[in-house]
Amino acid sequence: MSERRPFHRPQPRRWWAHKPYRAYTIRELSGVAVAVYGAILLAGLVCLWRGPDAYALYRRILASDGAFAVHAVLLAAVLWHVVTWFEILPKTMPKLILRGQPLPQRLVSAVALLAALACSAALLVVVVAMGAMS
Amino acid sequence: MRPVNHTAPKRSVAPVFWLLFGAGGMLSALFGPALIILTGFMIPHGWGLPGNFGDYSHALAFARHPIGKLVVLAVIALFFWHGAERLFLTLKDMRAGRPLLLRLLTYGVAALLTLVTASLLLAIGL
Repeated sequence: MSERRPFHRPQPRRWWAHKPYRAYTIRELSGVAVAVYGAILLAGLVCLWRGPDAYALYRRILASDGAFAVHAVLLAAVLWHVVTWFEILPKTMPKLILRGQPLPQRLVSAVALLAALACSAALLVVVVAMGAMS
Repeated sequence: MRPVNHTAPKRSVAPVFWLLFGAGGMLSALFGPALIILTGFMIPHGWGLPGNFGDYSHALAFARHPIGKLVVLAVIALFFWHGAERLFLTLKDMRAGRPLLLRLLTYGVAALLTLVTASLLLAIGL
C-alpha cells in the first residue's frame, strides 16, 4: 500500500448532466443522432431488399405521425451537430493567416456554417428539380 | 543490422476511427439536414416531390445504380462510425463500463452494420 494519499476532488456521479459538462454531453449525443438516422435509412434498405410488401410497410411507417415526430427531433439534433461541428473546426485546423493576422475563429465558423447550409439547400434544390423533370 | 528502437511508441489504431468519425461528421454536417428533410418529410408526405418519387421501383433503381450504392454505403456507414466514436468517448468518460466492452458496443456495432449495409447492396444487385 502506497503512503501517497493524493487529493481527489469530489465529483458528482452524474457530472456529465451538470454545468459546465452538460453542453459537451449534449454536443456528443447530437452526434449519436446522426447514427440513429443512419439506422432508419438502413431499415429502409433492409425493407427494399425484402421486397415490395416490406418496402410499402416501411413507407407507411415513415408517413405516420410518430415517424414525423422522430424526424423532427433528429433534424433539431443534427442541426445542433452542424452548428457545434463548425464551432470546433477552427480549433482543429491550422490557423488561417490573412495579411499577417490570423482569421478570427468565429468568422471561420460562420463561413463554414453558411457553406454547409448552402450544401444542404443545393441538394434539396437538385432533388426537387429532378422530381419536377421526371 | 538496424538497432531496434525500444522507445518507439506502440502504433495506435485510434487514427483510423478518428478518420471515419471525421468523415461521417463532415458528411452529416454538409448534407445531413437536407437528407432528413428529404427522407423524413418531403418523400413520405409528397411535399414538393411527385408522389411516386420514393416508391419501390425508384428506390430499387437508385440502390441498383453503382453511384447510388456508393452514396447509400457512404451515408449509412460513415454516419454509424461517427455516432460510434462519439458514443464510445462519452460512455468512456461516464465510466459506463470496461473500455473493451464499450468498444464492442460502439465500434463493433458500427463495423457489423457497415458489413450488413454492404451485403444488402450486393444482394440487391445491379
